[in-house]
Amino acid sequence: MTKIKTHLNRRSFLKLSAAGGAGLMLQFSWFSSLASENPTIEEAFDLNGYIKIATDGTVTIASPNPEVGQNVKTSMPMIVAEELDVDWKNVKVVQAPLNTAIFTRQLAGGSRSINESWNALRMAGATARHMLVQAAAKSWGVPASEIKVNAGTLTHNANGKTATFGEMASAASNIEVPKEVDVKDIKDFKIIRKSHLNVDGPSITTGKPVFGLDVYGENMVYASIVHPPAFGMKLESYDASEALSMKGVDSVFTIDVYPDDYERNRFDISAFPQLIVITGDSTWRIMKAKKTIKANWVPFSAYTVKMEGNSNGEKVPSGTENTEAHYTEMIKKSKENAKQVRKDGNPEKAFSEAAKVIERSYTAPYLAHSPLEPLNFYANVTADKAELIGPIQTPEFMEKSVAKRLGMNLDQIDIQMTRIGGGFGRKLFGHYLVEAALISQKLKKPVKLIYTREDDMTFGAYRPTYQATFRAALDKDNNMVAFHVKTGGIPESPLFANRFPAGAVPNYLAESWTIDSNITTAAFRAPRSNFMGAVEQAFLDEVAELAGKDPIDFRLELFDNAIKKPVGNKNDYEAKRYAGVLKLIKEKSNWGTSKNGLSRGVAAYFCHDSYVANVVDLKMVDGKPIIEKVHCAVDCGIVVNPVAAANMVEGGSVDGIGHALYSMLSLKGGVPQQRNYNDYHLIRNNDAPHDVEVHFVESDVHPTGLGEPPFAPAIGALANALYKETGKRYYHQPFMMDIESKYLQSEANV
Amino acid sequence: MALYTINVNGKNHQVDVDSDTPVLWVLRDNLRLLGTKYGCGIAHCGVCTIHMDGEAIRSCAYPISSVENKKIVTIEGLSENGDHPVQKAWIEHDVPQCGYCQAGQIMSAASLLAQNPNPSDEEIRRAMNGNLCRCATYTRINKAIKTASKEM
Amino acid sequence: MLMDFRTTSLKFRKHSVIFLFSAALFSAFVLACKAKTGSNGEYTSLPEAKKQDSLASIAAFKDVYSVLMHPRCMNCHPIGDIPLQGDDSHLHNMLPQRGPDGKGIASMKCANCHAPKGVPGDHTPPGNPKWHLPPADMKMVFQGKSARELALQLVNPELNGHKDMQALREHAEDTLVKSGWNMGGDRELPPLSYEEFKKVWYTWIDNGAYAPSN
Repeated sequence: MTKIKTHLNRRSFLKLSAAGGAGLMLQFSWFSSLASENPTIEEAFDLNGYIKIATDGTVTIASPNPEVGQNVKTSMPMIVAEELDVDWKNVKVVQAPLNTAIFTRQLAGGSRSINESWNALRMAGATARHMLVQAAAKSWGVPASEIKVNAGTLTHNANGKTATFGEMASAASNIEVPKEVDVKDIKDFKIIRKSHLNVDGPSITTGKPVFGLDVYGENMVYASIVHPPAFGMKLESYDASEALSMKGVDSVFTIDVYPDDYERNRFDISAFPQLIVITGDSTWRIMKAKKTIKANWVPFSAYTVKMEGNSNGEKVPSGTENTEAHYTEMIKKSKENAKQVRKDGNPEKAFSEAAKVIERSYTAPYLAHSPLEPLNFYANVTADKAELIGPIQTPEFMEKSVAKRLGMNLDQIDIQMTRIGGGFGRKLFGHYLVEAALISQKLKKPVKLIYTREDDMTFGAYRPTYQATFRAALDKDNNMVAFHVKTGGIPESPLFANRFPAGAVPNYLAESWTIDSNITTAAFRAPRSNFMGAVEQAFLDEVAELAGKDPIDFRLELFDNAIKKPVGNKNDYEAKRYAGVLKLIKEKSNWGTSKNGLSRGVAAYFCHDSYVANVVDLKMVDGKPIIEKVHCAVDCGIVVNPVAAANMVEGGSVDGIGHALYSMLSLKGGVPQQRNYNDYHLIRNNDAPHDVEVHFVESDVHPTGLGEPPFAPAIGALANALYKETGKRYYHQPFMMDIESKYLQSEANV
Repeated sequence: MALYTINVNGKNHQVDVDSDTPVLWVLRDNLRLLGTKYGCGIAHCGVCTIHMDGEAIRSCAYPISSVENKKIVTIEGLSENGDHPVQKAWIEHDVPQCGYCQAGQIMSAASLLAQNPNPSDEEIRRAMNGNLCRCATYTRINKAIKTASKEM
Repeated sequence: MLMDFRTTSLKFRKHSVIFLFSAALFSAFVLACKAKTGSNGEYTSLPEAKKQDSLASIAAFKDVYSVLMHPRCMNCHPIGDIPLQGDDSHLHNMLPQRGPDGKGIASMKCANCHAPKGVPGDHTPPGNPKWHLPPADMKMVFQGKSARELALQLVNPELNGHKDMQALREHAEDTLVKSGWNMGGDRELPPLSYEEFKKVWYTWIDNGAYAPSN
């Protein structure tokens, strides 16, 4: 067994009990109305904030993090249950309240939920188990070391004593929380590494109201917003007389979500700090009425947003921007001097002396996250309390933001996490939560704020648009001796200077540039990696071809360099694990064979501490790719819940492929040109790969990210398979649109 | 504004709403049947799919005035105990990720199987093409429909 | 006799490019027709029509054609089995299939989204109680048809849904035809108003339903 330090203490536990009231661990005012969420338990004892054990043996485990579809609501409690050593069928799972004193990093983002909470979750289970054992030892008068625990039962063989957790829960709740506890050996896991079905599966498949949009409070009013139609514009004046004359409309007013002098935190992104609000007695009536509001929008002058921890703030340029101009600017920038971020060896010399040099450029557009559940939040703000319920990936950050903005104390803010109907990064940025709170505070009424799809898609906080130019040099023996990446975007650069092939080539240069913009952007599933992984892997395919090498063998040679004599000491990845997923995909996909006229492409990428390799098998029919199969090999350390982990990899791969093929958010005069799913294309069932096969590397390593790593390599493998099939390289996403003739003209590929 | 009688999950409800109110908002705002979701409002995403006389209609595109004398079934009424073959198959294949689109997917799948109990892979993909899944669980959706078809 | 004529004269180009008219070009066609009056295969007329005025009929058909080839009409008369959509006549999102009766297939029927009466708003599905494509055994394709091909198809009961001239005339009153002018949102309207369309439709038919020369 391994000993780990606990961070729970009596104080934090007591705080939680006080917050929950009446000694109950959880007191969800809204969720308590859901029978399936909160079954009536006669008497239950709180052991440490995560775990409550009822006298009948039912164990309620609180899942601390927001559930956005990554399945933490099942996998996190599984880890607790493992260390507690309880039978999973006696476990009930509830969503934990926001409580930073007890829980670690209550955030859904960065693919770090399991990674960062792994020890805390094990500790929570092990602590409770320890307390139950101590209670039994005390009650039976035997040494704790002689008590065995198995699936919710405590036994002492020598004197034949046995008790269920339920029977010992009361006594255990009085045991002091230990300073350190033993956790299991990985080989003894009984729950972790075995597939467990989604705990919310029955609720989801029967339509239980578990999402933010499903929160309806007593006497609430419905609210919607009107924002400037273009980036670069702000409100001058408006006329809502027609709307106000319509049935069911209560009020129209403006709110300053983030006033000019307000210091925002990094999740307070909003391009439109002032909004028109309309409220009324039903969703439909305000949706209809808001279309009649006549607003006068005017261009704003450049300004600076005050940012916490950044004394310079963030500059917001004026003007209305166009996609066409963006592409022109990016190409221009790609040919100017850029900021050097990493340099190994002597790249200039290596390129000039090379036997072969290849240079290629790539672009990708803005993307709208567009989770199917649009932005929405429920708020009931009174003089002394703000009850805020809805879908939010960053409750910890938004608690602070909203408290500051409402002028309330942190302990007056009660953010309750609902299931999130998709986020992909968009719901990290909680301006809509602040908006709902401000509306409720102003009206002194409970409010349900809902964005229409059009509001959601045209509000900004997009995946940035990117450009990258790569160069590679081969010596006369076709070894890659130099690699140069120069990349940037609007407004951020996607560069990861210390990722592969850094460390694997003797001469390496990474450069970066950016272009300012007033179009807001936000983390999008696998931020920056979603572009770099895709294009770097497409480029390496061309380099391998130029070298006359098999694309897997070519990469394995490079990893061999990185293992045997790594260049530099700041390389982010473990070359051995990287090579491991390539070897696994080679074996599992029967690489080197071909099957019924399908073309194959391969790619591998490292991000969020995990390694994913893909092989895509496709053919073109009537100008459209029919993707028969995506093979995935994944090394994410210990796989907590295989069935859900595979689901995440399947979805992540298809999501990457879908966006690369079809999706683009473009702008004209600052106006988003796509407003809804009629013109913003997401991958649909009929376009999706027919099969996705997932293989995990067996590993005892600390678990790492899974929601994001599969996205980028799937795109790389897709691009490489498309080349095999069509003989054409795809440099510009989305592949199913002719970006070169639409936006890049002759400068398409330098 | 007018009084409309709407039959949902075997029960008649009287609602007092504007005649152009989409059934979606009547279900959600008036009847508090919240399993039917809002996603796009233009019948492009399928998360609001319900059954009207067995057909998988988009409730955001049907005004209340067009469903009188029709039998509406929502996800809440698809089966008594959540045990419609499609619901069971969804659980078995652990289909949902975020889960937001799944009620609509299930309603489309149930209507498909009622009309074609043994669809081919191709027929499934085409029949389900009106339902977006932003988490892209399409392969599991299609496998679950295959499984459910064995029970139809 | 008429049937014989039709069966011998009908030649459909399978994937003909949409034919674009200019007024000048069209006048040239009419002149060409006049010069060849009586020569089979250049244009056709209908013996049961009240009048036989090929010039008036063909001139009217020019306007009829501009309406029928407009996205509001043509989108539901596609070459393939998937309807078209939007002012640019792209393949309908979600790729709904025609189905044997033209009403779609299983959980992807036209009426699943196209209610008897639509919900107001941009890009909401237009409503109509009969929303459908022509059935699989009578596809009545407009897309890609030249004016001549379309005119010949329209007057042929074996290709027009078994309509005689009277039924064809009355088809202008069909609720689905009318809905082309009433789809709501920001959709572009056909080039003629509905009343204007009806006028040229009748003019075309009442003067002999002549098909212009190609």
